[in-house]
Amino acid sequence: MLNRIFGLETEYGLLIHEDRPNHSPTWFAHKIRDHLFQVQRRGVLDLHHRGHDEPPGNGGFLTNAGRIYLDMGHLEYASPECHSLTDVVASDRAGDLLLQQTLEELGFSEQVSLIKNNIDHETDATFGSHENYLVSRRFPFSRRGLAPLVTFLVTRQIFTGSGRVGSAALQDAWIQTDRLLIPRSALGAHHVSEPPFQISQRADYIVNDFFEWVQHNRAIVNTRDEPLADPNQYRRIHLLLGDSNMTEYATALKLGTTGLVLQLIEEGHAPQDLEIDEPVEALQEISQDQERRWLIQLQSHKTMSAVDIQERFLDCAVQHCKGQDEETDWVLTQWASVLHDLRGDYQKLVGRVDWASKLWLLECFREAEHADWTDPMLKSLDLEYHNLNPSKGLYYGLLEEGRVPRVTTDFLIHLAMETAPKNTRAYGRSELVRHLLHERHASVADPSPTPDGLFPPYVINWSIFQVRGHAPFPMPDPFKTYLEDVRTHLDSVIV
Amino acid sequence: MNHITIPERREGPVDPMPKSPRPLEEGGGPRRPETESPEKDSLMKRMRKVDPKQAERYRQRTGE
Repeated sequence: MLNRIFGLETEYGLLIHEDRPNHSPTWFAHKIRDHLFQVQRRGVLDLHHRGHDEPPGNGGFLTNAGRIYLDMGHLEYASPECHSLTDVVASDRAGDLLLQQTLEELGFSEQVSLIKNNIDHETDATFGSHENYLVSRRFPFSRRGLAPLVTFLVTRQIFTGSGRVGSAALQDAWIQTDRLLIPRSALGAHHVSEPPFQISQRADYIVNDFFEWVQHNRAIVNTRDEPLADPNQYRRIHLLLGDSNMTEYATALKLGTTGLVLQLIEEGHAPQDLEIDEPVEALQEISQDQERRWLIQLQSHKTMSAVDIQERFLDCAVQHCKGQDEETDWVLTQWASVLHDLRGDYQKLVGRVDWASKLWLLECFREAEHADWTDPMLKSLDLEYHNLNPSKGLYYGLLEEGRVPRVTTDFLIHLAMETAPKNTRAYGRSELVRHLLHERHASVADPSPTPDGLFPPYVINWSIFQVRGHAPFPMPDPFKTYLEDVRTHLDSVIV
Repeated sequence: MNHITIPERREGPVDPMPKSPRPLEEGGGPRRPETESPEKDSLMKRMRKVDPKQAERYRQRTGE
């Protein structure tokens, strides 16, 4: 899409199928990572400390220029930088397949399943699916400038949510008011009664409108300023309120609509009269609304439905973005189609929208088995929707039945497991990773340090790398491939 | 030195996205599983195979 770089970071859960397992989920996560890098040689492990919780060997960059690593005990995959929805959807699915294939190759698939979800029903743990959008540094990153984005994000869950059974307990949270941090409970926040089903996995865990942390006080808009690119030109909008999507369609629509709304804001065309009175509460109320009326109180004292609000954004996007490229037009058409169908029977959205697909499966099961919403089996089915094992997962059951429209192909997904998009910085990084693998400098066990022992053989980060202590090679522009420059640089530093 | 060539990503001139979802049965809505004869329906079979206790076993750490 026009002037946009997309990226997705996904944390996976691991479900162990034994009553008294010998190993923890983290043990399996280590085995999968080690096999992927050391046996399959899909990439090169980091040889340096990336942070206090990322020691050498914790993860590394892949030949597709994405990353696999462990984060808080979870396997996490970060896609390479993508300039199109086609590439980001294929790259996202490539991460699923890389991990699932490794699990199978290790012979673990009967013992453990990879679950691409965001919640643990029993402990209320949560883990994320983070979205990244590159915007201009001129983007109005202020409360006022971001207000349309907040309204859009609060309401987009009606087609981006993955759905869940039940809800999480009230989250501890601290709210920033002027220069003070105060407990959310001091503002009189209360927990509504337990809903049987809600449309978003993450809504219960979002407790602020703006905040910079990612593990506590999660916000609708994360304000950490870490562009991973030239900070004079770019800003990275980092979102952590979204759910992991199983359907390719929802993944594409989530990223595509959000990308267009960011464009509307950048160009000064976003609707300005839709500021929500209490965005955090609205996020949770929409998610938990069992009648799916999704009504919201605006600061203007008007009440509007989430569908109407989304249609306002769609109208603006049609007016200002239509015809700019093929993907934009696809997004506009499908956005309109989904909003139209959301006004009717949710079953029309099965296969396209994850919460609708999951709810339909659960309702079919409840009807057949005469189960009520308190039946613990429903939470297990909820998990099974996200199981990446194609012979078990309920999403894959829908796919097998031909009820799920595809927006990429298996061929492109397999290609994205190996190769980077050819129109972003990822392409140059992929070249670097291939050279390092080829030169057999990839193993922690064989780090081949420089003669003076001061430098690791390589240090790779998203926007810079260094080989054998030579001058660092910056890659500040994600829209450039740096391919020839990387090759020239490697010629000069690798004997 | 020899460079390793990265394979082409795209399958020639690729239509980046479909114009619309593949038409679904019954006017775009899902076909309801045959809940009255579930043994014939693969989705119901999948669901019945699920371990009812697996949600209890799914103990994850909080991430980001």
